Amino acid sequence: MALSEKDIELKIREEAKKALATGEVSCVIGWTTTRFPDKMKPFFAETEAECDELVWNKYCINGTAKYALDDRYPSKKFAIIARGCDSRAINRMLKDKQLLRENLYIIGVVCDGKENPICEECQHKNPLTYDVLIGEPVPEQIDEKRFAEVEAFEKLSPDEKYEYWAKQYDKCIHCYACRNACPACNCVECYADQYRTGWQGKASDRIQNQVYGLTRAFHVGDRCIECGECERVCPMGLPIMRQTRKMLKDINDLFGDYECGMPDDAMPVLGGYTLADPDEFM
Amino acid sequence: MKFKKTDLNEVLKTLAREYTVFAPIVENEEKKFMPWAESKDVEMEGLNTIKPPKDVLFPNVEKMYRYKMGLEGFIEEIFPEDTKRILFGIRPCDMRSIDSMDKVFLTKEYVDSYYAKRRDDATIVAFGCTEAGRTCFCESMGLNPNDAPSADVMMNVSADGEDYVLEARTEKGEELVKKLEGLITDGGEAKKDTKCSLVINKAEDLDKKLAKMFEHPIWDKVTKGCIGCGTCTFVCPTCYCFDIDSENYGAEGCKYRCWDSCMFSDYTRLAGGANPRPTKKERLRNRYMHKLSYFNERYGETLCVGCGRCVEKCPAHLDISEFIEKASAAELGKEDK
Repeated sequence: MALSEKDIELKIREEAKKALATGEVSCVIGWTTTRFPDKMKPFFAETEAECDELVWNKYCINGTAKYALDDRYPSKKFAIIARGCDSRAINRMLKDKQLLRENLYIIGVVCDGKENPICEECQHKNPLTYDVLIGEPVPEQIDEKRFAEVEAFEKLSPDEKYEYWAKQYDKCIHCYACRNACPACNCVECYADQYRTGWQGKASDRIQNQVYGLTRAFHVGDRCIECGECERVCPMGLPIMRQTRKMLKDINDLFGDYECGMPDDAMPVLGGYTLADPDEFM
Repeated sequence: MKFKKTDLNEVLKTLAREYTVFAPIVENEEKKFMPWAESKDVEMEGLNTIKPPKDVLFPNVEKMYRYKMGLEGFIEEIFPEDTKRILFGIRPCDMRSIDSMDKVFLTKEYVDSYYAKRRDDATIVAFGCTEAGRTCFCESMGLNPNDAPSADVMMNVSADGEDYVLEARTEKGEELVKKLEGLITDGGEAKKDTKCSLVINKAEDLDKKLAKMFEHPIWDKVTKGCIGCGTCTFVCPTCYCFDIDSENYGAEGCKYRCWDSCMFSDYTRLAGGANPRPTKKERLRNRYMHKLSYFNERYGETLCVGCGRCVEKCPAHLDISEFIEKASAAELGKEDK
């Protein structure tokens, strides 16, 4: 029988306490309540008592994995409560050599989807990488409509597409929330923070916003794990996943079926080269 | 004085003959303050805008001067145009924010000429809230959602809900109201019973207490969830930090200033690469300290007006109102002097 929400929450607390009790873990990254019933915030349990503040409900939306980057050379392990998407994020960062597996203790939780539109398209409710698993694995759905939105968008004329994105990026406030929430954006120093290079202007205007949007899309294009955090965190409501999905669709068309953040994750397609790669442009 | 709600468009049209009128307009799926035109969709009531109206006085990108190098070289200042502006319908929290920005840009011996020009040219019509967002806590910060004392004109919905009631409070305000002759009538009772959704426990002397809490363990806890983006600073009506940079095309270019965020790593990065605020802990501590203590020390008032925008929009659900309560209740340790 499937575990209830409450059962899972209790198990999370129990596993968190066990992890801390080993003495090898500095903190357990999960979620706790805020004053708003529909907002759960990332939480870092460091003591047994704090483990009882960890919660599990449909509002545990924020990604947990990226916080491990706050300390790239930790003296103790981070324990991470990881849903399918968080486990893909961890695999992403491991593959990008930003984290070491031995510095992580992964408490996997089978996730039934959260109060977040992106979860309807989720293809990995079961964590892919974990040290301990809470919940019975469920059958995964194949999201037939994964690229439907992109396909519809592709039918627009170049002018219509430009008009659409120009309007969207006119709203952008250049806050970099999409970058900072993204597990694929894991560079030690982002190109956009290297102001003296002149690559990215600091002004928030149509040109600089679009330069940033395009660059971000290409930088994460073949490494996106489709967690949708970029779009969720955008204070101005830009449909950012639509760009990454376009990149992923093109990659699927050119290189065959491709998903990121799998345990056996091969080189990102745009980060490596094989003789079989399409090369019509040559 | 009052005018019929149904005459709002007429009122704006009349004002727009002589002023550029910035009103809360819904466009491109976003409500924001932008120049009014007949075709625009004005939404006076409902919740406040996501982006504060500060950019009307302090634009997020402002060109300051342009130049050319070489034999035909020149330097030419770019100054805000002579435009009489009206900020129409800003909320009491945003009015109070402008009071704070006035202190920053116009007092303590330095006058920022760009800001001063825009501010001089602006007449502000504040509008009492009719509805509080769930993150609104301005009352706890000493404000009143129904009244903005420093506005040129205060506007409220009438008790019967049919009219907008006006009160001119300054010369600029009286001049504005005069333009509306024929549209306004005497009388009208303002409805002033809107309450904030959040009431928080803030210590009376929090600013002085925080000044002693620089090394307090509270900072380790509250800053952990921060993802280091600039959302809170850009949606904040009182964040006024800017950076100056240049845009060059060959021998020509211009200097501009643009909003900056103390949440970004480069904000305190020194020329040699050292950074006195290396992690989010130091950065967020600075932001909260600035809002709740440093500004009090310099200008005698708190820089957080309780608009709740950052609480609503923070991707990591950090909540300054929660911090205020925690800090108010915190016990000082021996390291806190």
